Amino acid sequence: MHPFAKNAYCALFLRAFATVMKVTTYLALALLAFSATGSLLANDRFITLNNEPLGTLEKPLILRTYLPDPGLGREVIANHDLGYRARKYSPGKGDVEGFDDPIRGIPAAIGVNFGASFSYCWDTTECRLLFAWQGGFLKMENYWGKPESGRRKSKGYIPELAGPLIYLAQGSHPLAVFDDFVETNTPVFKGYRIVDQIPEFEYTQGKANVRVCIIPGKEPMTFVKHYAISGVEEIDYEESGYQQKVKNTDPLTFSVTVNGRLQTTSGASELAPDYSTEEPNLEWGEALYTQLGCLACHSTDGTRGHGPSFAGTFDSMRKITGLDELVLVDEPYLIESITNPMAKVVEGFPPGYMPPYPIPDEQIKSLVLFLKTLKNE
Amino acid sequence: MKTFTLFLLAVTSAILCLSTASHAEDAYQLETIPFPEGVPPEVGALGFNPSGELVVALRRSDVLMAKPTADPKKFEWRLFASGLHNACGMHIVSDREVIISQMPELTRIVDTDGDGTGDLYESINASWGMSGNYHETNHLTPDGKGGYYLAIGTASHNGPVFYNVRGTYSKTGRRGRNYSAASWKGWVLHVDPEGRMTPFCKGFRMHNGIMQDRDGNLWAGDNQGDWRATTPFYHLQKDHFYGHPSSLVWDPKWDPARDPLKMPIEEINEMRTPAAVLLPHDIMNRSASEPIQIPDDAFGPYGGQILLPDNNGKRISRLMLEKVDGQFQGACTHFWNDNGLNLGNNRVAFSPDKTTLYVGQTSRGWGALAEGVQRITRTDAEVFDVLTMTLTKIGFRLEFTTPIPDSALIAATYEMQRYRYEDGPTYGGDKLDVTSIPVDKVSRVDERTIDLEITELKNGGHVYELNIGIEKLRSQVYCYTLNRLKVK
Repeated sequence: MHPFAKNAYCALFLRAFATVMKVTTYLALALLAFSATGSLLANDRFITLNNEPLGTLEKPLILRTYLPDPGLGREVIANHDLGYRARKYSPGKGDVEGFDDPIRGIPAAIGVNFGASFSYCWDTTECRLLFAWQGGFLKMENYWGKPESGRRKSKGYIPELAGPLIYLAQGSHPLAVFDDFVETNTPVFKGYRIVDQIPEFEYTQGKANVRVCIIPGKEPMTFVKHYAISGVEEIDYEESGYQQKVKNTDPLTFSVTVNGRLQTTSGASELAPDYSTEEPNLEWGEALYTQLGCLACHSTDGTRGHGPSFAGTFDSMRKITGLDELVLVDEPYLIESITNPMAKVVEGFPPGYMPPYPIPDEQIKSLVLFLKTLKNE
Repeated sequence: MKTFTLFLLAVTSAILCLSTASHAEDAYQLETIPFPEGVPPEVGALGFNPSGELVVALRRSDVLMAKPTADPKKFEWRLFASGLHNACGMHIVSDREVIISQMPELTRIVDTDGDGTGDLYESINASWGMSGNYHETNHLTPDGKGGYYLAIGTASHNGPVFYNVRGTYSKTGRRGRNYSAASWKGWVLHVDPEGRMTPFCKGFRMHNGIMQDRDGNLWAGDNQGDWRATTPFYHLQKDHFYGHPSSLVWDPKWDPARDPLKMPIEEINEMRTPAAVLLPHDIMNRSASEPIQIPDDAFGPYGGQILLPDNNGKRISRLMLEKVDGQFQGACTHFWNDNGLNLGNNRVAFSPDKTTLYVGQTSRGWGALAEGVQRITRTDAEVFDVLTMTLTKIGFRLEFTTPIPDSALIAATYEMQRYRYEDGPTYGGDKLDVTSIPVDKVSRVDERTIDLEITELKNGGHVYELNIGIEKLRSQVYCYTLNRLKVK
């Protein structure tokens, strides 16, 4: 058991999920192997030409890569310098017309994925959690290129998040350490250790040595940060909904549960129309299908993904794991499947794969309106 | 029509079959080593651990290991580490410890519990910047004293920078074709055993490969491009400048108001240390990658010479260096040219028994797709080649690997050209002042050695290209870079 998972509910949670995932990992991998992007190229041991690799709750996938900046404030990325627009340059002519603009990425962060329900970005420059999301991990095509293309090169450069954000860091670092009564700001990344498959990051800040690991929480869209700090006499931890001031404890360990919620600041939704005050409608449902990341697992054209295709779903009869009778896919069924996906799992698909989406009623109704329009092709 | 298509298919597959089979020439054999299904063999680094396992770091994430087998298709690959961002350089310390320079960091990976996979990823040093540009790769070589030299490449104008930059951003450094927008791009850095960094030398474009030879000399090639008329090979010395100006913005002594791209070319030429060897772009090497010193005996007669793979050609160059007037200079030729070798030759390592050179390839992001691992094994057959081309006071001396044939004593066997290059801000550069140089006289020195006499020798970086019309000679073209004349 992970040394940080001391409190009982974490231990139970991890154990329960480990059991579920042991059964489903192979199923999921088999599915991945035949998914549209991976075809026969996926492989359960190595990173392959599949540009959408996934970890599991039992064995999270750690991937150091360029990551997108989904709208972090300058106070969050205070230890980064700022890149500027540059005049276009021609080796033959020198400065020429036009500009090259920087793009929004994080250069030296680490992505960690626990399957469809939870991923996060931990940065080695700020030494803090920058953001978390659900609905899959990263779409690497922008960076790794198309497998079938000759040059495996893409001009996008920064991988995309596969699903919506559930947490975006705000403000200065939640952990302030005091070193002989002076606040020490610049953290130095020391590396990470993999303990029971979970990465535990380590950094120093002045005389303080900080170890932190982040795991999915018991409730949907929650996660837990476990801290172990040594070397200093005083710390001050403050994050929305959680505060701690400690003196003279060495080593100091504590856990913070963060309640995430679906964010509207990801790149895709920034450009989308604001539906927040509207009545449920079909157009909104179609937009949500993309924004919430449903498309990562559910196709609209009958293609088999990680979850059942939405094509022809409405009004059809479904075989459910553990039930003898076929079940009618009607409005109540769809609402239940969005808010409590474990209640009825379609036969042939792994249980526990889809996280619950506790979204407002108008959004659920809009999604249902959209689903009703999808016929068999 | 259908029949014809089928026929074409058959011919094509026959050709493909041939091209993936092993290639034998007399003295060396080339074989291709497949990777597990679906795993793209984009080789960022490769080497051997003390147990004799081949360790391959792939650019997407994973470090794979396998014990080499006589049948190249029987390698049983296992995972040692994963999650790395574009691994570029590697030093294998033990079966349980590997040092990797990935794009953002020099990392120590340790298997602390002995289960065969790394569980500790320790950051040794990350003092260079990260602009976010895809081109900022690096390479490492151990200093032999527990520290490392790191070659930190520049960014390409084919890609952007990020708004969020690790390290310091320089607006001046951002200008140019290959640019140095973030800290220490275009430098060689030294990291001591405690992880502390000191800058070592500067002025590089894409020194994708650095090595220390057995005498302690430090070497790096660079890639043809801006400020590189052709691919150079440099002897690295502390505080020297090697001609690509963008990196100067990170020199603490540099005036921050000054744009290095506006330096007069004369000033750059005055400041810089010239290449020990220039490798003509068209015939020899387009993009130098990892240099490696050939071991004595087991790999043929070339012990002590340096091989320099071409990342942008189906070639591996062989370098013949000598010290003239206190400085290194010398000749290059092909060790391998086409004959089944892939493009994208990036990293090299000798097998523990020194009979086999393993070559790792990648070109993702650059040019046509090329990737894989191939190996070149010495056979029992005799090597017939020119071992060294060195400078004399009146021309060049050729030492052959075997007693010379009669044709080697005839002046008409040799054709020589002299030319030079001029570096500048534009990409690459033509051969300038191309002149045909007659070989006036050939004389025998001993049974394996001859002297070529030519009328006039010119220093200052002139390249003397010698073509030798002797059948079955492994390589028939040799290029000597004449920086300094032999006076004694």
